Amino acid sequence: MSRRTRLWLVAVSGTGLAALLVAACLELPPFGGSSHPYGERAVRAALARHTANTIASVNFDQRAYDTLGEMSILFAAVLGCVVLLRQARDEHRARPEPAEVDLPVRRYALIVLPVAVVGGLYVIAHGQLSPGGGFQGGVVAATALHLLYLGADYRALERVRPVGLFEVADSLAVSAYLVLGLAGVLAGTAFLANTLLPYGTFNTLSSGGNVPLLNAAIGMEVACAVVVLLARFLDQAVEIEQGNGKDDKDDKDDKESEKENGKENGA
Amino acid sequence: MHHLLPLLVALPLLGAALLVAGGRRLPRRAAETIGCTVSGATAALAITLLLNSSPPLVEWAGGWVPVNGESVGIMLIGDGPALGMAALASLLTSAALAYSWRYFDEPPRRHAGSFPALMLVFQAGMCGFAIAGDLFNAFVFFELMSVVAYALTGYRIDEAKAVQGALTFAIVTSLGAYALLMGIALLYARTGELAMAQIGRGLDRTAVHGGPDALVLASFVLVLTGLLVKAAAVPFHFWLPDAHAVAPTPVCMVLSGVMVELGTYGVWRVYGTVFAGPGGIPPADLRRVLVVLGVLTAVVGAVMCWYQRHIKRLLAYSTVAHTGLFLIGIGVLTPEADDGIALYLIAHAGVKAALFACAGILLDRYGSVDELALFGKARQLRTVAALWGVGALGLAGLPPFGTALGKAVTEEAVGGALALVYVAASAVTGGAVLRVGARVFLGLGPRPKSDGEYETTGAGERPETRRRLSRVPDTMTAVPALLLAGALAVGTVPGFGGLVADAVNEAGSGGVVVTSVHWTVPGVLLGLASALLAVGLTAVAVTRPALLAAPDRALPLRRLQSGHIGDYVAWLLVGTTLLGVLALPGVLGA
Repeated sequence: MSRRTRLWLVAVSGTGLAALLVAACLELPPFGGSSHPYGERAVRAALARHTANTIASVNFDQRAYDTLGEMSILFAAVLGCVVLLRQARDEHRARPEPAEVDLPVRRYALIVLPVAVVGGLYVIAHGQLSPGGGFQGGVVAATALHLLYLGADYRALERVRPVGLFEVADSLAVSAYLVLGLAGVLAGTAFLANTLLPYGTFNTLSSGGNVPLLNAAIGMEVACAVVVLLARFLDQAVEIEQGNGKDDKDDKDDKESEKENGKENGA
Repeated sequence: MHHLLPLLVALPLLGAALLVAGGRRLPRRAAETIGCTVSGATAALAITLLLNSSPPLVEWAGGWVPVNGESVGIMLIGDGPALGMAALASLLTSAALAYSWRYFDEPPRRHAGSFPALMLVFQAGMCGFAIAGDLFNAFVFFELMSVVAYALTGYRIDEAKAVQGALTFAIVTSLGAYALLMGIALLYARTGELAMAQIGRGLDRTAVHGGPDALVLASFVLVLTGLLVKAAAVPFHFWLPDAHAVAPTPVCMVLSGVMVELGTYGVWRVYGTVFAGPGGIPPADLRRVLVVLGVLTAVVGAVMCWYQRHIKRLLAYSTVAHTGLFLIGIGVLTPEADDGIALYLIAHAGVKAALFACAGILLDRYGSVDELALFGKARQLRTVAALWGVGALGLAGLPPFGTALGKAVTEEAVGGALALVYVAASAVTGGAVLRVGARVFLGLGPRPKSDGEYETTGAGERPETRRRLSRVPDTMTAVPALLLAGALAVGTVPGFGGLVADAVNEAGSGGVVVTSVHWTVPGVLLGLASALLAVGLTAVAVTRPALLAAPDRALPLRRLQSGHIGDYVAWLLVGTTLLGVLALPGVLGA
């Protein structure tokens, strides 16, 4: 199909779809109305189970089964990335050379890194009380580690994040979420039922029954998943190179990585 | 019993997580055994639940049982069709895992468990989608199975075609998913509900002047777009041949056998629970939408199927053609047609997966899936030849295959000209497969000449096994044989059709309508007619290739499958608008 035909098709059908969407949006309930059927129910249910952050209650209690699906999507995406971004037959690994980092950047990164990690953990831990939670805190904590890449170099980053360990932790976090869900079935209530643990005192860290536990599992899953994802992409960008040539900048390490990665040179 | 429903999702996910956790230590054989065991156990669970699904099971995840008709939880449905699809998906996943037993070249280093783990997550996604009674939850599992399917499609990263096919698949299906999500948002804005049944009731309650308005129409169009992209209805189908031609064979078995059909199932489920009421889309409009799209899909799929020489692409187009037949069947909205389609879908899954399995054997033995290049080469593969021939006749709808029974019941329900579409589409697709068999396994007719520069040849494909197979492993022939036996059993085991019909009716009309499913004389005759037509087409194609070769006027149709993602996106927009236009009269009339 020529470019012209394609644009013409998009223009005509896009106009039709746009007209339909505009007509639909005119029928939406007016902004700022007083009727919120779902919101009212969700807040009532959250308060009944002593969860101060209603969003956390929706995520990890009322619709925890959806969260299971979302977590699995992330898990599958990581697994898919590991499979798709593996070293292909005609690629080899080259050790990246350390690059010069400006001193202010280095200082800033090293000062902010611990703060960001603690911030991430805080956001995870307080998910049931204040805005945030496992998804958000996990991303903060995981990206914080990568400040090391900016502040020092790739190999420093590699030392603090053994990817294999993070992969195992990722799948253990998924298992933990599932086991917490199965506990409900074993206890005779329902899958992911928040009825086993006491609901605690409203607005304290140990409130909400199951919610903090599921939240922690998600936090761990997301943090590990983001680390592994970024590691795979960084690998492609920094280490894995096309073609059969070899640079021997760092002979010993090269041998090691060769051993780790088995075949090379299109074996 | 109903508390066990979520285990259909949890069990394979747990298996996958453990496989990944232990994958660095596990030897390959152990990883594959675990994969097969977990997948088989899930299949057993699905079948056990299925046998206990009358009256239908309902589960509220988290124990949020509705109080005064209101709940904040997620509803899972365990009726016949839902658990039937879950069981079918699980059985096919198990079959694919058994087929791929020590099959791949080399698993990614230190990740021996990654292929079985991906298949298990795929299984969990399909089961979750099948038993979802909540529209948003259905979307979540729609995404889960899509994400895994992209990764599995691109599994052979050393081939540019595989990566391209996976990318096309990912972009087109993601657009479909966004449309689905937007549709869900519109429905939520109107009703404040996410459970399908509650949305349906909400629409009826809030209907202005007792009929649908633009918002209902838009949400219907958007939701249907998402599901039809998955079902690969024309013009949303372009991703399918590109993806199925390059995906590893065991993955194709599941993609073509059941994932695509889950889109059709989704249309049936969503229309029946959400849009069937007075506040939804009137039946006449749904009928127009699905029958028009279904006929278009069946015709385009069958024609394109006939003109392929790349064997996996040919099978992929036959899936498109059958999707069209399924859509017509659920579109006419009669209980009998629903029963017929249910049977047709089950038997088709067995036949299609078996044919893909045979194509995989050709690929691994000869390093090619090109009909012309393989001419007469596979003479010594007698068992595979027999399986291929039986599969082709099953696809064409030869009695007593389950495909023939399902088709006969549906033909009787749709009647008239639409029945002819069924006969023609199944005959052409079955004939195309039979033609491949006659040339590749028997070497019949003159050696065909290659022509046309727009063809995708199947030559130059890389085998998926470590080296070309000198001997076909027993698992690789046993799996298609079992699948074909299953498809045969659907049509021959007495009482099976009745069971399926009861289950579908109980879910569709609450068991008010009682239908009977059995072989009838016209049904058998129509089945024989399409099988004979398939044989006749094959005979002409093999002896006089010029008569049925692709004419020049078919070229524009074939050029539409350009491989350009922009084209496919443009067609997706066209399809969405077409849906809107076809369903518009119901809104204007309200």
